[in-house]
Amino acid sequence: MRLFSGQRAWLLQRLTAVLLLVACLAGLAALIFTPGFGYAQWKAFFSDGHGATLTVVCYIAICLHAWVGARDIILDYVPATAPRLALLSLVAVLLLATSVRLALLLAAQFMR
Amino acid sequence: MHLQIYRYCPDNGLPPRMQEYRIEPEPGDRKLLDILIRIKAVDDSLSFRRSCREGICGSDAMNINGRNGLACLTPIEGLHEPVVIRPLPGLPVVRDLVVDMTLFFAHYSAIKPYLINTEPPPERERLQTPEQRECLDGLYECILCACCSTFCPSFWWNPDKFLGPAALLQAYRFIVDSRDRATAERLDYLDDVYRLYRCRTIMNCTEVCPKGLSPSHAIEQIRQALLVRSL
Ligand code: SF4
Ligand code: SF4
Ligand code: FES
Repeated sequence: MRLFSGQRAWLLQRLTAVLLLVACLAGLAALIFTPGFGYAQWKAFFSDGHGATLTVVCYIAICLHAWVGARDIILDYVPATAPRLALLSLVAVLLLATSVRLALLLAAQFMR
Repeated sequence: MHLQIYRYCPDNGLPPRMQEYRIEPEPGDRKLLDILIRIKAVDDSLSFRRSCREGICGSDAMNINGRNGLACLTPIEGLHEPVVIRPLPGLPVVRDLVVDMTLFFAHYSAIKPYLINTEPPPERERLQTPEQRECLDGLYECILCACCSTFCPSFWWNPDKFLGPAALLQAYRFIVDSRDRATAERLDYLDDVYRLYRCRTIMNCTEVCPKGLSPSHAIEQIRQALLVRSL
């Protein structure tokens, strides 16, 4: 499978970076320019269908971006196969686990 | 002139060491290579490669005061003393300043550094327009001195798998050549996590090339060609 090899991964890393940059700037702008933006507003944002979707999209972008980045670092600095596999798996498990947790948290918002 | 030169001889079983030399430049001496040749005259155990002594053959690349360069193109005027000379980093040392370039040339031959064109050859040569010919400027001048590849951190980490800036610059030289017909195969070969995409655009290669070429620009062009092709 060439999904994460060479060019695709490189492109994915850049596209997700742009998406995340825009999302970060938008979030910052909301914080700075909306007086009294606090817990209640965040909660409303995450319970809203659009807000939650946006969060999930951004989170997927973070995961892909982090995966390519971490994989690059590991390929550079960990040449031995066994520790390399262990570290790559660790990163994958961590990213998956946090994704599941995010999904559960958001689901809980909507159950209430 | 005060120099410290890396000495290593695999035969005597001693670990590598830095040897001090003090030598006065003669009136005609301009470049560091002139000084090295003078040292060689008094201490013939010192080994280094050199041939053309004018920046054409690419054989006297070495690490001079922490920077890769050609001794024959490095002016002695203004050199910080002691001048610390080491072999090119990242390649196995054969002896003193002589490194084993096998890996470097293996990467070079892996990119098929020759025109691939199975169309029947014309009566005379395959012609190019001046514009097509211009595309090769900044690429064909490479003398394969290895200053760039051995100054590239990505090459230090994965010397066996990352092709390195010199081979990639050569790869691009044949990708842009209007007479070559193997662009697709060349790009296929380069679309690999290791071969091309270990490059992090650190730009040490461009910074250090004694011929003033820009391997990092060539690498960027290959990435662009891959991007355009995938769309
Ligand atoms: S690109 Fe420059 S530094 Fe690299 S091998 Fe060619 S001439 Fe030497
Ligand atoms: S730009 Fe790429 S090839 Fe050049 S030194 Fe940096 S990592 Fe190496
Ligand atoms: S001796 Fe030929 S490049 Fe320096």
